Amino acid sequence: MRLKEIQRTAHQAWSPAGHHPIHLALGTSAQQLDASFNTTAAIEIFEMDFADSSLEMQLKGSLPTANRLHSIVWVNFGMGTDGTGGRIVGGSENGTMTVYSPEAIMTSGAEAIVGQSDKHTGPVRALDFNPFQSNLLASGANDSEIYIWDLNNFSSPMTPGAKTQPAEDVSVVSWNRQVQHILASASPSGKAVVWDLRKNEPIIKISDHSNRMHCSGMLWHPDVATQLVLASEDDRLPVIQMWDLRFATSPLKVFENHTRGILSISWSQADSELLLSSAKDNRILCWNPNTGEVIYELPTTNQWCFDVQWCPRNPALLSTASFDGRITVYSVMGGSLKAQQQSTADKISSSFDAMDPFGTGQVLPPLQVPQPAVQDTIVPPLKKPPKWVRRPVGASFAFGGKLITFENSKLPPVQSPQPVPRQVFVSQVTTETEFLQRSRELQAALQSGSFNNYCQAKIQNAKSDAEQDIWKFLLVNFEDEARIKFLKLLGFSKDELERKISKCLGKNFQPNGHGVDAKDLAEKMQRLSTERSDEAATDARTSGSVSPADFFSQTPNESSNFQIPVSCDADGLISQALLVGNFEGAVDLCLNDGRYAEAILLSISGGEELLKKTQQKYLSKQKNSISMLISSVVTQNWRDIVQSCELDNWKEALAALLTYAHPEEFACLCDTLGNRLEHEGTEKRCLQACLCYICSGNIEKLVECWALHRECSSPLGLEDLVEKVMMLRKSIERLRNSEVAVQSPILAEKLTCYAGILAAEGSLTTAMSYLPDNSDQSGIMMLRERLFHAQGEAVQQQPPNSFNRGGLPTAKPNPAAQTPAPKAQIMPQSQYQPSAPSQVAPQQQTPLPSVFTPQVPSPNQGHGLPPFSHVMPPSATRPAMRPSYPQHPSTTPGFTAHQPFQPPMSTGGTFPPPGPSMPAASLSGPQLPSPSMSPGSLPPMPSPGVPSFMPSTSLSSGFMPPNSQPGAPVPMYPGGASSQAPPHPVTSGPYTPFTPLGSGYPQGGPGAPAVKPFPAPAVAPPPTGPQEGWNDPPTVRGGPRKKKFPDNYAPPAPITAPVMGFPVEASQPHDHTQVPPGAPQEPSVQLLQQLPAERVEQKEIPAEHMVLKTTFDSLVQRCQLAAGDPQTKRKLDDAGKRLGHLYDKLREQSLTHNILNGLHEISRCVASQNYQRGLEVHTQVVSSSNFSEISAFMPILKVLMTIANKLGV
Amino acid sequence: MVSVINTVDTSHEDMIHDAQMDYYGTRLATCSSDRTVKIFDVRNGGQILVADLRGHEGPVWQVAWAHPMFGNILASCSYDRKVIIWKEENGAWDKMYEYTGHESSVNSVCWGPYEFGLIMACGSSDGAISLLTFTGDQQWDVKKISNAHTIGCNAVSWAPAVVPGSLIDQPSGQKPNYVKRFVSGGCDNLVKLWKEEDGQWKEDQKLEAHSDWVRDVGWAPSIGLPTSTIASCSQDGRVFIWTCDDPAGNTWTAKLLHKFNDVVWHVSWSITGNILAVSGGDNKVTLWKESMDGQWACISDVSKGQGAVSTITDTQQNEQ
Repeated sequence: MRLKEIQRTAHQAWSPAGHHPIHLALGTSAQQLDASFNTTAAIEIFEMDFADSSLEMQLKGSLPTANRLHSIVWVNFGMGTDGTGGRIVGGSENGTMTVYSPEAIMTSGAEAIVGQSDKHTGPVRALDFNPFQSNLLASGANDSEIYIWDLNNFSSPMTPGAKTQPAEDVSVVSWNRQVQHILASASPSGKAVVWDLRKNEPIIKISDHSNRMHCSGMLWHPDVATQLVLASEDDRLPVIQMWDLRFATSPLKVFENHTRGILSISWSQADSELLLSSAKDNRILCWNPNTGEVIYELPTTNQWCFDVQWCPRNPALLSTASFDGRITVYSVMGGSLKAQQQSTADKISSSFDAMDPFGTGQVLPPLQVPQPAVQDTIVPPLKKPPKWVRRPVGASFAFGGKLITFENSKLPPVQSPQPVPRQVFVSQVTTETEFLQRSRELQAALQSGSFNNYCQAKIQNAKSDAEQDIWKFLLVNFEDEARIKFLKLLGFSKDELERKISKCLGKNFQPNGHGVDAKDLAEKMQRLSTERSDEAATDARTSGSVSPADFFSQTPNESSNFQIPVSCDADGLISQALLVGNFEGAVDLCLNDGRYAEAILLSISGGEELLKKTQQKYLSKQKNSISMLISSVVTQNWRDIVQSCELDNWKEALAALLTYAHPEEFACLCDTLGNRLEHEGTEKRCLQACLCYICSGNIEKLVECWALHRECSSPLGLEDLVEKVMMLRKSIERLRNSEVAVQSPILAEKLTCYAGILAAEGSLTTAMSYLPDNSDQSGIMMLRERLFHAQGEAVQQQPPNSFNRGGLPTAKPNPAAQTPAPKAQIMPQSQYQPSAPSQVAPQQQTPLPSVFTPQVPSPNQGHGLPPFSHVMPPSATRPAMRPSYPQHPSTTPGFTAHQPFQPPMSTGGTFPPPGPSMPAASLSGPQLPSPSMSPGSLPPMPSPGVPSFMPSTSLSSGFMPPNSQPGAPVPMYPGGASSQAPPHPVTSGPYTPFTPLGSGYPQGGPGAPAVKPFPAPAVAPPPTGPQEGWNDPPTVRGGPRKKKFPDNYAPPAPITAPVMGFPVEASQPHDHTQVPPGAPQEPSVQLLQQLPAERVEQKEIPAEHMVLKTTFDSLVQRCQLAAGDPQTKRKLDDAGKRLGHLYDKLREQSLTHNILNGLHEISRCVASQNYQRGLEVHTQVVSSSNFSEISAFMPILKVLMTIANKLGV
Repeated sequence: MVSVINTVDTSHEDMIHDAQMDYYGTRLATCSSDRTVKIFDVRNGGQILVADLRGHEGPVWQVAWAHPMFGNILASCSYDRKVIIWKEENGAWDKMYEYTGHESSVNSVCWGPYEFGLIMACGSSDGAISLLTFTGDQQWDVKKISNAHTIGCNAVSWAPAVVPGSLIDQPSGQKPNYVKRFVSGGCDNLVKLWKEEDGQWKEDQKLEAHSDWVRDVGWAPSIGLPTSTIASCSQDGRVFIWTCDDPAGNTWTAKLLHKFNDVVWHVSWSITGNILAVSGGDNKVTLWKESMDGQWACISDVSKGQGAVSTITDTQQNEQ
């Protein structure tokens, strides 16, 4: 294809290969005149700008010369490293050799001639430079003159040897391309002589016997040292002969195709299989010298071309000089001439007369056939693909850190007969060695369940104190008595404190062996605060501020005789008031008189209200450093502490929470504290905030806080984070005996990132296990799908959520067409939704990550399993990929202990399987009902989604009726009647008060496993029985720990209850005198949650009241189905739990007749959907009942009815 | 660390020019000067010949897998000026479409991100770039950028379909307005960026740094940063990393990764976009990674395909 063209009659020389950009030097040809008979001469340099699509060449410099040229070469001698410069050498018609500096020509033109010699006696027709030593140049002229020039010392050339005889013109000289001291020369007679410059003599002569050879060109083979070609200008023998010096008696090959004499040849240095020839038959041919085949014919003008030259730099380019005065640059890669050059052709012809100093713009008829019209023809490329387009090597990445490489050994010029192995290598690239190592360690810990060891190791190897602290806190979560250990970590040691107290009191206390008691802590707090403020502790004591310890130690001693004063002073008035039963008055008097102790004592007798009031008054009068603390302890109001304490006191605040906070508030309070710390923004505070979040078990906040202040985009940074998150998550799962879903977007993002890195490092299985399961983000789903397939599954077996392949043939592939794909992917998940009971937030559509549903190797994998057939094509032999990843090799036996639905069961056989409507996607893989896991247990249910909801003894209270009634069906929870089961209908009676409130901190923490919002059931709701377990924070763990926990443990009651043995509610027995007011006896979080199952002697709800439960439960369920916004859903979740309190009371039959009547009335109103009336009844009941009796459930009934009313269900 | 985990004997009868793994890394497509395209199932370290695709009449330069959401589709381009799109139907591979709109060797094919639909760019030695878009019912819409690169286009590579600045895709249902962009490299030594505007392809940027043919270009996958990154390699032995931070995509800066002694044929980004594999005429594969301070460092050589690891030698460094 023609690329550039200019009107010149000139010899041409390309800039050397290293030269950039590509230039073409033109020297006015000798012995060719145009019609103007102009005899001026010049060397011009043009730049080839191929970015410019026009035919124009850009003239970069021009230098008038004294003589016209027969030959011109551009050598890279003296070329700068920037790829410019070199030397242009011209051989003129009068024998002068001139050396030019192309740079000078292109700039000023001054001092462009850097050397000149007139050694030659006649026209210098032959020039060639040595490819190895750029300073060496050979020239040939008439009279057998050959000179070797050293451009470093241009004045004194040498000769290759004695002149050949008889003397004749030298038409060509050529340096061997392989051996640098070999030069060949040829004369028109057809004789070629090969010179050895070391010997300084000709070593071989070649001559064709036909004698018709008229040599116009001679070239050495670019690759084979012993071969050369000779071209004949004689019309009678228009051939190219290839000679091999090893057999120099006759040509090796003769290439015949031209019909008239050959004028010029050029051998591509980039591909030795490309040899160009131009001839007087107007054709320019390209030969494959190996085969003698013509592989290309240039679409030339109908004109002789006397010079062809391959471009040394751009192997696809060649230039031609023709007798019609045209220099043309072609590409052999073909293409379309198009109209591309139409305009430029016009431009050239119109501008030439003015531009051309030589007047060559005029075209003469004799040698000029009419200029062919600009063609719009397609020019094919070379028949044989040139070497330079044949990519010999490649490396490309593939998914999973794979690298695909191939290479093709550089073939010898003569093709070797042996077949070359054509291999492609697949390699695994891993770059993050440390990351992978740590990831493996983490994975090992997760799989073996040796979390303690893992955390211990982390503590030992922690690089900073901060890191160590975090790991210590994480470790504690795996230990018993976590709260105490947290306290210790915070610097509050029970034993030490007791020692200090006894010292302070001068007594000899024996450690009581119980948990931290409030007195100790208060003491400690006081000490701390007094240490901080400069007031001495004694100061505080003497000034009348009374610590609880002092206060209660001053209980009055009995005296045998006493008087009752009835005077008019304070004593008398108090006595009188007491005598008439006016407690309120008496208390007021006492307070007024500063007799706080008496006031409190009296108010205890005066009833709850009075006591509260008195406490308030007392506390409002006390203004010292510990009053806030006391106030909080007394009123159980820890929010104030966490919201207003000095951040420097975060440890103390956290300690107080650990000691006192109600489990249901604990997480929330910890988070509040953490939030404040985090808000301050310093790294130290953020670390402290992280500790708070670890205590509260708030994975999301931990991640957010961490991500905010630590670098976690690098693999190792991410690893740091993921290690902690996974450990925290494991500890929470351990506490709840249930899985924890990834909920926050930021955590999902981090885990996805982590999985991405793992995948990139080739750890596909591990990557899969970290990928958040419950995301409908297309990015995550695509990665999952990719991982799934990448692990070597049968490609033909499409997973249920593979791409929407069917869409192609008809669907328009615009982006919108693909939206169904992700949608389709999540469909199965939504079907499973009800099965991921309480752990799945409403917005989460998918089950839990597979890391938490590790696969148990199952012999009957793939058959005998419920194949989730309701969501996937029956043809799929693989079950849904999301829930199971059955092909994972990484089975994790150690994990199974933590799988709520997989423990070996002993009594499960008696338990009726849940109804078929209960899918279990997230809870178990399809192969879970593996025989090895549950021998003698239920056979796998054929119905979809009932794989392994096996109850077990150790978990019994979590989701099955108590063991005391083995085999008892769950008559009151008809399957499907309500997905929103009351949280503790069966099991939670005695510890009802611990039922978490919908605190908005879904994952809760060790202290307070909070409530998960229920997902809105999308399909048939699961039976209620199992679901209860998921809502129950105190998942039973059984084992020896149980005995540590008092059977009749009471919640931390407000201080209003008790110290003096004042009557307390029957439901809150409290027989541990050492228990500080309001503090759990055993503040171990686990213990709180590990309520023993065995002792639960569940009563049934009396039959006559069952209607209440059915009605309210179904109301909750209806609301949930109708509820749209998350807030309402949360409320409903809460309602489901709080109603449990009601049911508990019903079981205990502790409600008064009045209340029961009211409840039944409300129930009837609800049944008739007359919520308005229901609310009225509600108000009546509330106003006419003892609040403490109904406070646990009445408010939520109101909320429930209000919602129902609003939703119109 | 690079370790060979599978050696696939392709039994090609001539030079292999490309080898590409499918989206999942389970199937390998190879093409050769023997005019064939072969597909191997390489799962679990095996090598089962799945298909031997014949239809080209010249050396086949490149193969490219379409995203699997469109089915199992492979495109190949050849010196015979044709692009053939192969599709697997019921386990059998067949020609789905043959594009003959180029006048010279088609050197490069590249499928666009799946978000754009089934769209492919083809770069040819005729200097043009064709964009083939599947419009359904076996119909392909063809747009052609004539004279994209004078003398020829050697490589095309699509920009990721990620909105700059967001790691995670847009929420489903809300289709972002992706701007379709790709990069090309050619024998005019230029790297060019193209952008679709109102259905028309326009030259967006022209990046000049190479002094010889641009052999390959690779637009890095998005790693969630707002930066766009392109690698280009050239006959001149240089590999450049082009980056653009500004959202408009107008300011590109070039950083020389390395100057090799031989032509650099191919660059390939890892899936996560953090490693660049560079293969050169010396039959060497080097892996490069950007350090935290923005410097590119060679992390290993893969010589002779045997996973031998070495680093760029000092001599090579000095020869720059």
